[in-house]
Amino acid sequence: MSYKVRLLATALASVGMALPALADDETITVGFATAQSGAMQAYDKPADEAAMIRIEEINAAGGLLGKQIQVVTADTKSDRAEGAKAGLSVLDQGADLVIVSCDYDFGAPAALAAQDAGIVSFFSCAESVKAGIQGVGPLSFSGSVLAPVQGAAMAEWAFKEKDAKTFYKLLDTWTVYNKGICDGFDWMMPKLEEQGAKLVGEDTFKNEDASIAAQITRIKALPEEPDAIMLCTMMPGGVSAVKQLRAAGINSMILNGSGMDGSYWLSAVPDLSNFYIPVQASIYGDDPNPDVKKFNEAYKAKTGADPSSQYVYPGYVAVDVWSKAVERAGTTEAEAVVAELEKMKDEPTLFGPRTFTSELHHQANARYLVVNVDKGKPGVVGEWTLSEPVPMEAILK
Amino acid sequence: MLQILFDALSLGSLYALGALGIALIFGVMRLVNFAHGDVIAFSVFALLWPSTDALAIVFAGQLPWYLLIPFVLIVGALLSVLCEIVVYRRFRHASPATMMIASFALGFVIRYFLLMLFTSRPKSISLLPALGQPVEIFGARLPLLQLITIVATICILLALTLFLRRTRFGLEMRAAAENFSMARMLGVRANNVIMGAFAISGALAGAIALIFGSQTGTLDIQMGASVMLMAFIATVIGGLGSLPGAVLAGFLLGAASVVMQVFLPIDARPFRDAFVYGAVILVLLFSPQGLISARGTKERV
Repeated sequence: MSYKVRLLATALASVGMALPALADDETITVGFATAQSGAMQAYDKPADEAAMIRIEEINAAGGLLGKQIQVVTADTKSDRAEGAKAGLSVLDQGADLVIVSCDYDFGAPAALAAQDAGIVSFFSCAESVKAGIQGVGPLSFSGSVLAPVQGAAMAEWAFKEKDAKTFYKLLDTWTVYNKGICDGFDWMMPKLEEQGAKLVGEDTFKNEDASIAAQITRIKALPEEPDAIMLCTMMPGGVSAVKQLRAAGINSMILNGSGMDGSYWLSAVPDLSNFYIPVQASIYGDDPNPDVKKFNEAYKAKTGADPSSQYVYPGYVAVDVWSKAVERAGTTEAEAVVAELEKMKDEPTLFGPRTFTSELHHQANARYLVVNVDKGKPGVVGEWTLSEPVPMEAILK
Repeated sequence: MLQILFDALSLGSLYALGALGIALIFGVMRLVNFAHGDVIAFSVFALLWPSTDALAIVFAGQLPWYLLIPFVLIVGALLSVLCEIVVYRRFRHASPATMMIASFALGFVIRYFLLMLFTSRPKSISLLPALGQPVEIFGARLPLLQLITIVATICILLALTLFLRRTRFGLEMRAAAENFSMARMLGVRANNVIMGAFAISGALAGAIALIFGSQTGTLDIQMGASVMLMAFIATVIGGLGSLPGAVLAGFLLGAASVVMQVFLPIDARPFRDAFVYGAVILVLLFSPQGLISARGTKERV
């Protein structure tokens, strides 16, 4: 055997070994590079479970392209360096789709690994625009809705449906998510001001602040209590802010991002009322869609507990839209699947319609249910879809 | 105006109590106890039954207030003493830097223990809900808790002053803070004094945990970190080891933070802490030993 032929043979053999995914044509593999331990685990696990429910449903119905979906996992240990390793690990195990951590910062290393390997990745519930083309690349998507949509939707809903005229903005500067909510609010507010609304003041605080007494004093110094306070914050500081606002006797309606969803914290603020949260679906058993109730029961049967917040649902959506795109493309090959995903316009899912474009692998508009907490009891009181999608300038602000 | 004064006093109280807890231990054994923040978190998490569910299972938190308050204080004190016996005692002759690293490590151990039992998800609890009502005082409307915080802090400071000035144990502690080896030679039992300092410091951590917990309604395994940082800065600008200095600096920091929040323009407000730390640097430039430097730490010529 000549040297050249031997070289060719070696090269072919190594290519064969480097592509173990091709070796197994009987199954399709979904890899979870998410936190199974550490600080992010409490946020990743619920979305993972929801994604698993969708996978089990697909398998029970005969699989995807006639093949069963098998699941492989790797723990990011809530660590960014480990996240990249976890991404590589599930890719090595032949993943055709990589589900990464809920948060952009924690999920990006694994998503980047998938991008480099030419594999589609989905953030299970990240709400930053960076979780997609802008922060990872053209093969990355998010199963959730952008934070600015939440702030804009709440402001428009409060003005149109609740007759709120005076607004106050209170921004917790801790995370990009918080700023995103307020960016959406800032985009919506001039439109509402043309119709008679008014922004009467604004202030900032930090999530870890032991006290927001000075911010509260500023609100109380206003000639009149504002109709609505847009509170751009998240756990755990959000609870503290709400508790202090109410303890100081401020009874304005409080508008929030989805991050405040869940009844597990309501014991901290007994008899909380007039508190509004946008959610993709209701965990409180009163969703107008009976299939959501069925999902909640399936989730409870699987995990032993009800969903703790709406952040369970995007995990289900991620697998759902991806599998539909695979079905339509007839392959799991990334380019074809991405092309099918980008054709989706108001694609119905269990948790509202979804749209992807070649510019945005995220939702610039969504149908939200509005949950009100009344005397400590949360329940759906309305439904709102923005009159127009949030434009890219406001999203990328 | 009065409202701002109350806001500043109540935030300052929190920092002052934290700074006192750190200064006490620094005084007797030259240890900057970075685990203090995690003792704060632990003593209030003790009110919950360990569970990884999102919903907190309130356990000891259901006690009536006259049992609940001592419970948290005692948990804080016991944990703090336990830290001394298990860890710090072995570092008695180590350099301050070594002890500081040990305290960081210990803090991590406590925090990850909590993470294991409770997960990283913040837990919610209605702690002393009666304090959530607003009260009217001299025309300023403020939450009852704010008032109680200020009054309680003043009472704690008075009691501690009396204890240190009027009792034998207090005298020993002050002597140990001044010159530890000399005090030992004169018959002060080192272990008792140090354990006493840890117990008081731990109880102070418990007091902060109570105030913090009832103010925010939220228990987070990292909740002690921000107070700990401010308290540590307060002990430094107060003059390391000086108890009155720590308290004074704690109140000043609280006041600076509130005043900046009130008077900074909206665009600068997100950087409030940068301004506060800037002021800290200024203080240290003009008075490197701190506002009231402790006699024991001064360089002798």
